Amino acid sequence: MDDVIPKDKVKPFKWVGTSPIRPDGVPKVTGVAQYGADLVMPGELHGRILRSPHAHACIRSIDTSKAAALPGVKAVVTSADFPEQAFEYLGPERVAVNYWHMTRNVMAREKALYEGHAVAAVAAVSKSIADEALALIKVDYEVLPHVIDVDDAMKPDAPLLFPDLITRGVEPPPKPSNISKRIEFKIGDLEKGFAAADEIVEMSFKTAPVHQAYLEPHGCVVRFDADGQGEIWSSSQGHFVVRAYTAKLLGLRQGDLRAYAAEIGGGFGGKTVIYLEPVAALLAKKSGHPVKMMMSREDVFKATGPTSGSSMTVKIGVKRDGKMVAAEGLFKFQAGAFPGSPVMNACMCAFAPYDIPNARTVGYDVVCNRPKSAAYRAPGSPISAFAVESVIDALAQKLRMDPLELRLKNAARAGTQMVYGPKLAHNGYAETIEALLKHPAWKAPLKKNQGRGVASGYWFNGGGESSATVHVNDDGTVVCATGSPDIGGSRASMAIMCAETLGINYEQVRPIVADTASVGYTHVTGGSRVTFATGIAVVEATKKVISELCKRAAMIWDVDVEGVTWEDGHAKPASTNVGEFKPLSLREIAAKKAATGGPIGAAAGVNPGAVAPGYATQFCDVEVDPETGKVTVLRFVAAQDVGRAIHRDYVEGQIQGGVVQGIGWALNEEYVYDAKGRMENAGFLDYRIPVASDLPMIETVIVEVPNPAHPYGAKGVAEVNICPPMAAIANAIDRATGHRLTELPMSPRKVLAAIESKG
Amino acid sequence: MPARVVLTGGLSRRYTGGVQEFSIDAKNLRGVLKELDRIHPGLADHLEHETTVAIDGEIHEDVGYYQVVKPGSEIFFIPKLEGG
Repeated sequence: MDDVIPKDKVKPFKWVGTSPIRPDGVPKVTGVAQYGADLVMPGELHGRILRSPHAHACIRSIDTSKAAALPGVKAVVTSADFPEQAFEYLGPERVAVNYWHMTRNVMAREKALYEGHAVAAVAAVSKSIADEALALIKVDYEVLPHVIDVDDAMKPDAPLLFPDLITRGVEPPPKPSNISKRIEFKIGDLEKGFAAADEIVEMSFKTAPVHQAYLEPHGCVVRFDADGQGEIWSSSQGHFVVRAYTAKLLGLRQGDLRAYAAEIGGGFGGKTVIYLEPVAALLAKKSGHPVKMMMSREDVFKATGPTSGSSMTVKIGVKRDGKMVAAEGLFKFQAGAFPGSPVMNACMCAFAPYDIPNARTVGYDVVCNRPKSAAYRAPGSPISAFAVESVIDALAQKLRMDPLELRLKNAARAGTQMVYGPKLAHNGYAETIEALLKHPAWKAPLKKNQGRGVASGYWFNGGGESSATVHVNDDGTVVCATGSPDIGGSRASMAIMCAETLGINYEQVRPIVADTASVGYTHVTGGSRVTFATGIAVVEATKKVISELCKRAAMIWDVDVEGVTWEDGHAKPASTNVGEFKPLSLREIAAKKAATGGPIGAAAGVNPGAVAPGYATQFCDVEVDPETGKVTVLRFVAAQDVGRAIHRDYVEGQIQGGVVQGIGWALNEEYVYDAKGRMENAGFLDYRIPVASDLPMIETVIVEVPNPAHPYGAKGVAEVNICPPMAAIANAIDRATGHRLTELPMSPRKVLAAIESKG
Repeated sequence: MPARVVLTGGLSRRYTGGVQEFSIDAKNLRGVLKELDRIHPGLADHLEHETTVAIDGEIHEDVGYYQVVKPGSEIFFIPKLEGG
């Protein structure tokens, strides 16, 4: 059935690459879309969580008796209500799940490991009664010394979060420490490579931990029937994963839980894990009422996973002509309270844009008294890119080379060996550099105190398991259901691919996000995987529907099915030998569905591989105020290889969004802790994310090097765009001031100190 | 021509006594796993659950039995990844 896919060289796409109005737009702009907080159920209780005020403390005892006795309180839970989990890492290394850790992150047991760590929860008939009940819970803490900074946490005398944590990846096993894991990737002969270099630059960097800062806090509603069947509505990036984790932590069967995807107000990786759902489920089971739980913004900052802060050293050697011959990177990442930072990704992505024959990356995953890190847009890659791309800019200056030309000279292409082993199978990076070299602003003049910086980034993109069902209605409209929560406009993209494949109008397709009982397993909306993997599921299901439509048309015409072809939304005779028949539209065939065999629909489940990676190259112009150190971004141009844009506006939106988050990471965002390890800026007034008035228009340059593994050539687009901005801005500041900043955020205070240090 | 099979990311240290590369004749990844398991009993299970695979540079999300192996293919078992 591959011939049903229009080929762009033969026939232009009708919908792919256009920007139709999103199907979920009207409910969202009119405020009626149902987000996590919006569902209200009869008899609903309000769940609230008591959180640790200490960064590190033993929990000697918890007395909930007074809270439970308060009128209006219907249930109280602590960790004692959760079944214990075995200590084991399940699944692949980087994404390994340890439920012993997860249950302790959801509700502290022996220790509170960070300020904001949940220690108990109540459900009551009102929020005020629930809050009053929390105040009645007595927790006896033994406050312990804490550690937050990654370098401090690695010191031999650092306070230990877990007295028996042995570093994995080191032989012989060392004594317990906060270092959860050491990893290493290596190709070539590093010593020989550096010996052959004419110029070597080595620098050390630190980055502050930052939060995904999604505007919608976590929220959920959970109910149970008397027979133990439960339902979960929550704001997440994957309701199948919410169901699986919740079932595991509570000892339930997945089939006894049904999870629904509420609309989601941003996730960026931070909603691929669970916090509230198992707690609400326990409260609902104990009370016999539906329970709603919502986090405050303060809860979100203090109790949910940000990405890691880091400490890094990167060294790169080049020949005089700019050819890179050796590179080495040391990456130390905060994991937060439990192991699992994205340091492995950082090690694998760090030098991935470049063809460097001799390279080594070493990473350390280090626990500390902060919330457990969670995924954040290309997790790990933006952090290592800040270091690598800063060093490359310093090399360009040493060599007096154009920084884009230096990157182009060393660009990884199909066949380049990656530091993690295999050879790259796809092009796309060089094309982003070439696009910027042609950009009219690349050579535009700059004024005093202004500088232009460039940087690049790499992200794997994702594939994995996805499901879709496509059904034809009597009137020729089509329902396209997937299991992928819609974060970045994926309903529209799915409708485009379904309509394009069927050859019908976009408006005829109604894309929906189905619950866990109504569509097959679908992995999270994350890893830039949905347009690729779920898109393939949609196309596969649609192709099955087309096959069925051809059978129905053959029945109507009373000819062999081989005599029917599908074109422009119509069944047509494959040749004049079949006979003279007027083409049958989808609607005409659907109207005869009862007579031709019943409902017309199909499902597809896929696990596609051959994921083409994403590459981005960006440049920006900044102006530095020499009196205050304030950095103003004047221009930002972002090129990205997207394979093929399915919904062009949303591709642009993803690029712009990633860049803006990167600008915040570069200039403003950080957690500020007091001496006791308590966060002092847990709100958007003090944790400063960029707003529109801080920003220029982010100009996007869409580069299309189609991915042959996707029916329309799509590659993931959502993540790689956040990799370059931090280094691009650091490089621009360096060129504006003559001073290189190596620590994020590059706040006015730090920039001013750097300027003044020049004397 | 057999496929070149490479274990990365510390897998060889953990499971094969440091042997990092293998030459294996197989038509699909299931055949590769079966042969690795014959040489190092239990290895296939570790690889299936702990890694993903790159075949001729194409990174796949999972170690899928159905993935085609061509003569002379390069197969790297690499750590599985996650995104945001």
